[in-house]
Amino acid sequence: MSRPTRASAPLAAALEDRRVLVVAGAGGVGKTTTAAALGLQAALLGRRALVCTIDPSPRLATSLGLDRLSDRPRALSLTGLRGRGGAMWAMTIDTKRTFDALVDRHAPDERSRRRILDNRFYQQVSGALAGSHEYMAMEKLLDLAADERFDLVVLDTPPTRHALDFLEAPDRLMGFLDAGVLRWFLKPYFVAGRLTLKVATRTGALAMRVVDRYLGLQFLQDLSEFFLAFEGLYDGFKERAARVHALLREPGSGFVVVASPAEPALEEAVYFHRRLAEKGMPFVSFVVNRVRTDPARERQPRSGAGPTPAVSADLARRLGGLLADQQTLARIDATRIARLEVDTREPIVCVPELESDVHDLHGLRAVGDAILG
Amino acid sequence: MLLDALLARRLLILSGKGGVGKSVVGAALATAAHTRGKRVLLVEIDAARDAALLLGGRAGDGTETEIRAGLSTVNLRPPAVMDEYVRETVKVDLLARRILGSPIYRRFFAAAPGLAELMTLGKIMVLEEARDRWSRRPRYDLVVVDAPATGHGLQMLQVPLAASAAVPVGPVGANARRILAMLRDPKRTALVLVAIPEEMAVVEAVELHRAATTGVGIDVAGLVLNGCHERRLTPAQETEVRRLIAEGAGGRIGRVSLPAALAAARRHLRRRKLTAFYERRLAAALPLPLVRLPFLFEEEPGPEAIGYLAERLAEA
Repeated sequence: MSRPTRASAPLAAALEDRRVLVVAGAGGVGKTTTAAALGLQAALLGRRALVCTIDPSPRLATSLGLDRLSDRPRALSLTGLRGRGGAMWAMTIDTKRTFDALVDRHAPDERSRRRILDNRFYQQVSGALAGSHEYMAMEKLLDLAADERFDLVVLDTPPTRHALDFLEAPDRLMGFLDAGVLRWFLKPYFVAGRLTLKVATRTGALAMRVVDRYLGLQFLQDLSEFFLAFEGLYDGFKERAARVHALLREPGSGFVVVASPAEPALEEAVYFHRRLAEKGMPFVSFVVNRVRTDPARERQPRSGAGPTPAVSADLARRLGGLLADQQTLARIDATRIARLEVDTREPIVCVPELESDVHDLHGLRAVGDAILG
Repeated sequence: MLLDALLARRLLILSGKGGVGKSVVGAALATAAHTRGKRVLLVEIDAARDAALLLGGRAGDGTETEIRAGLSTVNLRPPAVMDEYVRETVKVDLLARRILGSPIYRRFFAAAPGLAELMTLGKIMVLEEARDRWSRRPRYDLVVVDAPATGHGLQMLQVPLAASAAVPVGPVGANARRILAMLRDPKRTALVLVAIPEEMAVVEAVELHRAATTGVGIDVAGLVLNGCHERRLTPAQETEVRRLIAEGAGGRIGRVSLPAALAAARRHLRRRKLTAFYERRLAAALPLPLVRLPFLFEEEPGPEAIGYLAERLAEA
């Protein structure tokens, strides 16, 4: 199913004029490859584009034909790709290091800085806290968007189970760090250093007792120290989070929602699209990857020009079977994509299943060409 | 052979990149084990679609549901598992409800790192250790777990190690150590990698293998290469098809256009080549028994398709 070129027009325009593109979608739909391909297309259009991923596994690195990426923007050589003189960088986000930097930035003094960085709980969780990948991606985005070297930042989102986690997780992290709720709840431990249950409510006391029984006092002390240490930082965090949300709502930002023709991925895409609208964040386009097409509807290179040979009945039957199977897949995908269109009324870019796997810049360019049609 | 090796364990955890068909492979593996006379529980974690549907049953309610005698499924929702833990711990219904309803619980427990994963693994351990009330024999011979996609799946398996370090004392630390011991016991537990013949899926399978063996210390028993394109043309026919494509042959065969059929054949040949290529690569990178499962040309694999895949697993 090849779609008219206008389907990709909003995406093409976004590559020319947006400053931030967030590429979101459920896991396993080719999100990282799409982000990298869009970044490369923008660079070839003459922009200075940075592609940023926080994937724990070096998938983007593989797409870019690199062994590994670092958490500093690394310039890529576009030699041999014939663009309009743009440039491209790629990087990954190291969640732990970004978290540390955030503590550095917001700690009022050296003592409180060390108190957090040396805290055992912090050391265990700063890379693993629910939502910390997402929060740090957003945190990093703020710095990168202000970096003069780049005029476009393409942000690949963490490999969350659900696309929506990217938008919601930072709130969950903030909820967790919200000292206002937890301070009264944990302070008695920290202050007394022993089993005192002078908390505000009986329920709180009971919850506390459960926590103590199951986690142990030492852990609770680490934990309460952690929260107390964070008290001074919380406002700074909150302010940054608000700025990220404001940045994401700017007209210079945009969301590209990636899906595959699989039912769960499309459902995620529809849901994510609705949440973006609710949050007032600008939507650019859907990109549906790996769409299976009907070979009968495609122009085949130099086909039909040659002889019309006799084919054995057995081969004819088998060829007919291969064609019918692929047409079945194409029909399934077309139906699902039509439903996405009805549900959202947004531009949908369909990218056919590619002839070859992507593992270098040339392959990535081919993906980008296929996306922009 | 691979199936025999797998069925010698009590807990099989399937892991791989998202989109490789872990749920389908899990359902097929559970079916194959059930056919061999095992009492099987298929566990999913926060699955969007219940595996019960793949097996011809109805979607469950988060508790164990028997599809047919000796074959059950459960779709664990981590928040619900955590709530259940609190209820069982507190025992007094009113207090439990108060705790569950309090904002502290919602904010703290829901966001506490690794707690949901630890509880979920704990629940899996409870299910694996469950015994019939009267006979006292194990309720299940085999528990098959369809783990979340790589990033999260690996994170889940790493939690017990991290937790036993972070919380050395108390029941949570003790539980974490028990879970870790279960995961690390090769007689009891094995990881089964699932991949498809695509670059990223293969790269992730190799990474996962390294992280699982060196990081967590869990035995990796095998690799399922799902979505393999199998031979549909004889070697002589493949040669003929290549020649026809090169000649740009036209005309019709029966009711279909030959160029379209040749285009389909060309895709098929390319898929076959990729399948062989990635199979070789996996075989070279991972010292594991490998079983191939065919690509299915279907909208939603149903019980019939799962039954077929189960047969293929049994043959392997």
